[in-house]
Amino acid sequence: MISSTLETRELITLGGGGVLLHGTYHKATGKTANGAAGSTKNIGVLFLNALSTPRSLIGESGVYWATSFAARGYPSFRFDLPGLGDSYGEIPNDLVKFADGGGWATIASSKVKELVHSRGLPGVVMFGHCSGATTAIYAASRSRECKGLILMDPYFNLPRSLTPSLRPGLVLWVRSSKTGALMRAGYDRIREFREALRKEKLPANANLNLLARVKQVVANGVPILIFKAPKPPAVGGSVLHAGDFDYFDYILSLAERSDQFTIKEIDDTDHSFSNRAGRLAVRQHSEAWLSEYFPETNSGDVIQ
Amino acid sequence: MPVLTQTHRNPANTLAEYPGYFPVSGAHLYTVLHQVENPVARVLLVGPFAPVRHTSYRTWVQWARYLATNRIEVLRFDYRGVGESTGSFEEMTLESWTDDVRCLAKWLRKQERNAPLLLHGLELGGLLAARVFHEGEADALMLWSTPTDANQVLRSALKHWIGPLQLSKREGERRPPSHYFRLLDEGKNVEVEGYEWSAELWRQSLTFALPAPMVPPNDPAASYKRPVRMVTLGKNAAPLVYGAVPGYEENKDFSWLFNPNSHWIASNLSVRLEAVHD
Repeated sequence: MISSTLETRELITLGGGGVLLHGTYHKATGKTANGAAGSTKNIGVLFLNALSTPRSLIGESGVYWATSFAARGYPSFRFDLPGLGDSYGEIPNDLVKFADGGGWATIASSKVKELVHSRGLPGVVMFGHCSGATTAIYAASRSRECKGLILMDPYFNLPRSLTPSLRPGLVLWVRSSKTGALMRAGYDRIREFREALRKEKLPANANLNLLARVKQVVANGVPILIFKAPKPPAVGGSVLHAGDFDYFDYILSLAERSDQFTIKEIDDTDHSFSNRAGRLAVRQHSEAWLSEYFPETNSGDVIQ
Repeated sequence: MPVLTQTHRNPANTLAEYPGYFPVSGAHLYTVLHQVENPVARVLLVGPFAPVRHTSYRTWVQWARYLATNRIEVLRFDYRGVGESTGSFEEMTLESWTDDVRCLAKWLRKQERNAPLLLHGLELGGLLAARVFHEGEADALMLWSTPTDANQVLRSALKHWIGPLQLSKREGERRPPSHYFRLLDEGKNVEVEGYEWSAELWRQSLTFALPAPMVPPNDPAASYKRPVRMVTLGKNAAPLVYGAVPGYEENKDFSWLFNPNSHWIASNLSVRLEAVHD
């Protein structure tokens, strides 16, 4: 009566190296853009958790995208990293710091290898949202099997250094309350003003380790699709936003080829991209990008 | 027992967890059975409303594992149209989710090695579990943070969604919760945190209430002559309830909640908790 397999999905595990990950496999059922039937020859798409969100992602948008990509011929996989969702494992108290430092990178890259070998895939495109994008970059920098990246609202800065001097309770309040949001906005304005005076230089709180990994991934020729959510309106005026450091401009300058980065800003959505407009736009742009860079015949090699 | 095709054993111990798809009318429910040998009791975990699922998930899984290590077999699941289950959220009603609980409770009842069955609901799940318990389907009931009607759950979810959303909108685009309540009252669908709330779900929530014997100050245990425990969780129970800061509270120690509730289960079902060892 209970089964691990449906017509289009299967519950699977990756158990190599003594680390058991639970996941969902969306079988490639459709046709790719060039009309070829989906097969295991196609590159796979691997979804990672966004911070502690289970593998379905917010509003089950991960299920929606994985189902869509599979219907276009790209087998898609959603796994819970250790300690998240259904997978066993301990997690640290400060998950943000852990993710920002590439805490899941080793396990993610080894599981990419395991997945590719066990499923006979020519490689995978890693799909990460927010801190999942951070993990995807770190993992891609140490993975030969990762052939592409889809990053949703990635960030390249570390938390402000304001926090260590405050009591944890106060930090939580500042992070979670509306008044705290106003305080943070004010603090950010001051920081941005200082940074505006030091144009061209990376901000003091830039995640240098992560940016170094981006350079490495770029040097490997990996194509990258980035989705940006609309920036929240400034609280109390936008003049100082002119001083915002543009990390996207910075990473674009690292590109080995002019077409290596594709950046799409999606309107009418929020950071989660889980509403109707966000889901649809991410789906359509991703499918177009996948069929351009990973058509069925190329067996995972990037078209240059 | 059903035919299970995969063993999902925690490498660190002997506890096995079996994810699977359970067929119901028009969909498949994602289930995870935390199986134990010779269980002293069985628990069906009935989770919270969809938007709370992704924040409470880890703690809910920890609770299932905690019970399993004490020889209590646990089944947890996603409602139709939610999480890993199939089905379209906007087509779902509170009745279809109640049916999910009913089907799984019946399935657990039929398992080998008879053991008492407890329904344990969190938030909206408490309302669903309570109604199935009212029908006589289980030996005991435990409710965490269950309001008296489903409309309170929906209102609370919408208000918690609106808060952060307001910060990301320009002043002229901001709408108060009452705006969305009015749309739903007028029979329009509203999209909340990626979920399409149907007007029918909203309409049904207005009358979907706890059975009368469970509404305070009534004593449900006296009415049903079966054990019933109702617990109100405070903010310290986040992320099981609203108020958690993502990334900083997932690893909290919940022994203050798990210990007394597992002991209540043991004493009220007259079973002895036994730690499962390797």
